[in-house]
Amino acid sequence: MMMEIAPPLDLSVCIGKLELKNPVIAASGTFGYGQEFENFIDLSQLGAIIPKGISLSPMQGNPPPRIFETNGGILNSIGLQNPGFERFVKDKLPYLRKIKTHILINIFGNTTQEYIELAKRFDDVSGISGLELNISCPNVKCGGAIFGSDLRVTYRLTKGIRKATVLPLIVKLSPNVGDIVAIARSAEEGGADAVSLINTFKAMAINIHTRRPELGNIIGGLSGPAIKPIALRMVWGVSQAVKIPVIGIGGIMKAEDAIEFILAGASAIQIGTANLINPKTGIEVISGIRQYLLQNRVNRVRELIGLFKV
Amino acid sequence: MLRTSDDNHPLLSRPFSICKSYSTLHPRKGKRGHLLILYKKVGKGTQKMSTFKEGQEVNLIGPLGNGFILPPLPSSTPTILIGGGMGMASLSALGETLGSGKLYVFIGGKTKDDILCEDDQKGKVFITTEDGSRGKKGTVVDLFLSENERFDRGRPHHVYICGPEGMVKSLSKVLKSKKWVVQVSLEARMGCGFGACWGCVVKTRDTEMVYRRVCKDGPVFHLSEIVWE
Repeated sequence: MMMEIAPPLDLSVCIGKLELKNPVIAASGTFGYGQEFENFIDLSQLGAIIPKGISLSPMQGNPPPRIFETNGGILNSIGLQNPGFERFVKDKLPYLRKIKTHILINIFGNTTQEYIELAKRFDDVSGISGLELNISCPNVKCGGAIFGSDLRVTYRLTKGIRKATVLPLIVKLSPNVGDIVAIARSAEEGGADAVSLINTFKAMAINIHTRRPELGNIIGGLSGPAIKPIALRMVWGVSQAVKIPVIGIGGIMKAEDAIEFILAGASAIQIGTANLINPKTGIEVISGIRQYLLQNRVNRVRELIGLFKV
Repeated sequence: MLRTSDDNHPLLSRPFSICKSYSTLHPRKGKRGHLLILYKKVGKGTQKMSTFKEGQEVNLIGPLGNGFILPPLPSSTPTILIGGGMGMASLSALGETLGSGKLYVFIGGKTKDDILCEDDQKGKVFITTEDGSRGKKGTVVDLFLSENERFDRGRPHHVYICGPEGMVKSLSKVLKSKKWVVQVSLEARMGCGFGACWGCVVKTRDTEMVYRRVCKDGPVFHLSEIVWE
């Protein structure tokens, strides 16, 4: 009797030179430094992990309240609180290094020089697979989104960092710009290996009883399922306009959401807000993608990228 | 952290303290563990919780964070619990655990309906309501001050506090001059509850890390560590 043996499913994807075992990445700022999730999941099953953003010097972050729930979303104004490069490498990285998956480092600075200096320093550190350049955080005064809202600044910053490191370079884009496609092109021209999008939308909420802002920082960033359709539209637009891989981010709660982004043109996706609600989301999304491939008789997840038909 | 719905409304889990944990023996199912969560219907999450049916499965992550540090036993040191409204949910188990020796429990609320867990307390209980419908009229801080002479000035005391921010702030001023060990269990809006998002921070005197997480570094802090804005 003949047995039909299905070829093994291939979930691996490529982000430039980097091969991920699957397209599911834990997004920066929603995954702590990895260890916070060790009691819930086997961290090595994720395609990659991006710890909370790191700056050259420690940052205190914004005054509380830092988080507020809105309809289908979360406003946050954490303000990139982090221990700075040295403490991160000393205290957080040794744990992350032991996880058998890619560790990508989200970096940000207040000046171009700071970004470049930080990229150089990480270039000399072992156990890191790539850098994600944060030019899109809405919650800090200087740095962050200021860099990501101007075409020339994006180009120059990307180019400067490109020269400073041999690590794969992903540029994380802000949706709070006039034309995200143009910004993505600038990052590509500057030498980015990939772009990831989107970061949060600038947003706010007012308490009508106290007549005061719900966030200590007044303005924060909106994330969660509420922003998914806009994120999807942006990922689709950008993926048609650039040749480098696109990493889709924005309100992904389950495998179906992730598959939508992949069909729209994303080579990989990041799980953000959903990590806070269900720390197993990443693992569940991976198994959901596997199910989808089986049901649709597709062997390789790569075949789905951009398969969206208009 | 307890999810109050399976869809995304509300999106985030809600933080609760475990008021009590105990086990019972079921005639057929054997030993069964119980967690008692005391909550007040105030927003969307607790509104959904109030529709939970018996036997319904709920999704929760816990226990999370630290707990109160107990006074060394056996102790002749006077221990004081001060709970405002729902704050008693965090203190109640402590009041049951501690010996009745020198335990003073101050329970305050807006009205008599806000006076919780008084029957579970082993020590001497003082009750106060803002509208005067139970116990002495006024705030729990007023009552504590009026009973202040009971407590020997020079001796160390162990104090445990949980309640609304206004109450904790006032107590922080009142207790500042005393060299007592004062622990407070704080409340905060939380994102994850397990230390990943840094959304629930409180300002502290720690110069290296000013903002600390209520969910993971707390919820219990020494009152003197907290900086009130």
